[in-house]
Amino acid sequence: MNRHRIQAVARKEFYHLARDFRSLYLAFAVPILLILLFGYALSLDVDRIATIVVDHDRTALSRDIVRQLGASPYFKILGNVGDTQQAGKELDRGEATFAVVIPAGFAAHMRHDHEAPLQLILDGSDPNFSNIARAYVTAFFDGYNNNRLESFLNRQGQTVLAQPVEGRIRVWFNEDLESRNFIIPGIIAVIIMIVGAMLTSLVIAREYENGTMETIRSLPLTAGEFLLGKAAPYFLIGLTDVLVAVLMAQILFGVVMKSSFWLMITASSLYLAVALALGLFISILTKSQLVANQAALLVTYLPSLLLSNFVFPVTNMPAVLQGLTFFVPATYYIEILNGIYLKNLTLGQLGSSFLVLAVMLSVLSILNWRQLQKEGFSR
Amino acid sequence: MKVDLIRIRELVRKEFIQLFRDRKIRPILIVAPFIQILVFGYVVNYDIRDIRIAVLDQAQTRESRLIIDGFRGNKIFRITHHLSHDREIEPLMIRGKVDLVLKIGPGLSERVRGGNTAAVQILADGSMSNMASIRVFYAVTVLRSINTTLLHELHPQVIHYGRVDPRIRTWYNPNLDSQYFFVPGIVAIIIMIISLLLTSIAIIKEKEAGTMEQLIVTPLTPLEFILGKTIPYILVALVQMAVVTAFAVWWFDLPLEGSIPALFAASCLFLLSTLGIGLFISAVSSTQQQAVMTTFFFLLPFFMLSGFVFPIANMPEFVQWLTYLNPMRFFLVIIRGIFLKGVGLEVLWPQYMALLLLGAVVFSGAIGFFRKRLD
Repeated sequence: MNRHRIQAVARKEFYHLARDFRSLYLAFAVPILLILLFGYALSLDVDRIATIVVDHDRTALSRDIVRQLGASPYFKILGNVGDTQQAGKELDRGEATFAVVIPAGFAAHMRHDHEAPLQLILDGSDPNFSNIARAYVTAFFDGYNNNRLESFLNRQGQTVLAQPVEGRIRVWFNEDLESRNFIIPGIIAVIIMIVGAMLTSLVIAREYENGTMETIRSLPLTAGEFLLGKAAPYFLIGLTDVLVAVLMAQILFGVVMKSSFWLMITASSLYLAVALALGLFISILTKSQLVANQAALLVTYLPSLLLSNFVFPVTNMPAVLQGLTFFVPATYYIEILNGIYLKNLTLGQLGSSFLVLAVMLSVLSILNWRQLQKEGFSR
Repeated sequence: MKVDLIRIRELVRKEFIQLFRDRKIRPILIVAPFIQILVFGYVVNYDIRDIRIAVLDQAQTRESRLIIDGFRGNKIFRITHHLSHDREIEPLMIRGKVDLVLKIGPGLSERVRGGNTAAVQILADGSMSNMASIRVFYAVTVLRSINTTLLHELHPQVIHYGRVDPRIRTWYNPNLDSQYFFVPGIVAIIIMIISLLLTSIAIIKEKEAGTMEQLIVTPLTPLEFILGKTIPYILVALVQMAVVTAFAVWWFDLPLEGSIPALFAASCLFLLSTLGIGLFISAVSSTQQQAVMTTFFFLLPFFMLSGFVFPIANMPEFVQWLTYLNPMRFFLVIIRGIFLKGVGLEVLWPQYMALLLLGAVVFSGAIGFFRKRLD
């Protein structure tokens, strides 16, 4: 390994980048855009459920229920329509996602101490939304009925029956249940993959396509030197992106690390190195920029987004896909990031994830090195 | 501007020959969409099938076992650990081995039999907040039915009081199947990726290979050139659309409630926008790497701000306004409307109009911009 030769390769790659202003610009713009999007705009939390009301009863009681529903932060009453058909149209058009239909005679039922049916229609097309919305609706009417029971018993001069068992809920790691707190660390993993693997997937393929690979091979350059030199500029860019992301998360969105900053940087460097090795591997194998890019999209970006426990829980997946997640570097990195951002874990507690990433890096490096030797590079 | 159909046909033919001769592109056209629909179809999933719960029973009485049996009997819950000490909770939660911990304190039965309320602790891993809310809700539901049983035992007389009987019906996707929501969206994603990426690259390739000069000196007008370059990808995208739609229906058992022609009409309108953007990208880029990165720059916000995963209603108002510039937003409403709701133009016409308007503006703008660059 000769440091000067590595520097020379890195400098050449850096000139490529600097001259190609747009790629460089995008290497910074894409991460910033992503963090802004995920931080400001995207949330899986369900609130202000767009609710439409059909009140056939038109009594003080029915109006009171609607008023109470609207007073809850989870429901937003869009208005009253005349009949169920009209409400159905609003659901079809997607203007409303929830309809409350109060049948005639509702208040009379209640007055006579009967169960008064209430028709609730929920748009089920988005299962995440409907699951949570259903929970809110059920909880709302549970509370409402409990109040009714209480006043009923009071009127009869009886004491209220205590519920035998009450669930005291405590949420760990993300006490306020904000989706931002797990989405922001997750997006850092996706950013590194995009910048690391997508950009590097092009660099060696480019040499092949331009026909400059022949020249490079004839230079007194070893496979290791070539790889390190090619990776170096992207390592710097990737690490800068991580720093920018960390700062933005903290300053703009108040997503703060519970554990050590340096642990985060160490983990990020390791994961970034894996991403770069993966990108170079794809580049060497495919030798074409377009194919390399598509391959990188398929084997790095999508799995990092989908198979890493980032937004979609791995435990919900079929067994085959759960098995696949073990080979996705982002799975381990996101585990580390969650440990650092949410759980306040130490290196000791995260050791196994670090180890897996290190093994991935070694395997990929050896594969790259061997592949380049087959292409005629010296050791 | 005159358009010579024969010249366009020849260019289309050349493009097709180049496209299919390239052995490396073939897998992109065929394999990539299949992988995407399979992976998305199975992975993108919020179905709650399996909630892993650890139980710490410090009461060890009939009542506590009743509660635990309530969870055991519910097929959504899977009791993975029986704990005997508080100390065991933290490591399990930290390593993400369980989603919930149910802790029953020692005094449970005395309190319950005495007519008081006994607290049962439910600890939830909140790392994924949306999943945590749903899991906690299911746990509370189980506790509620246990309460009904216990109350009935303690006070056998039935009380009738005026109460609301909420009857929840779920429309469009009664079993809350995630695939119903996501698979139609994938159809849109796939044709967007293909049409954006391939058109931009097809033109860049001519630039990179230096054949652009040759094309400019041919009698082809810019419009003919653009049509010749885009028509192949319209065809490719439509064929892919058909294949992926068939796959969605046969493989994922998706209902296709609405009309297929309406679906294809919407796809054509959608392609107008994506091809326009593809042209725009190829006009401002000079290398494939630039084109790919620029495509990505467009793809990401289109994808994220479309309502594919993240509901638009949750976004801040300013961003909600921005989504009106996103053709994907309208296309998704149409696709999901046709697939799940079985509605057609009578409901979706505003979305069709929006796609038409956006497409016309973007495509004609791109042609103008592209011509200026060619001159």
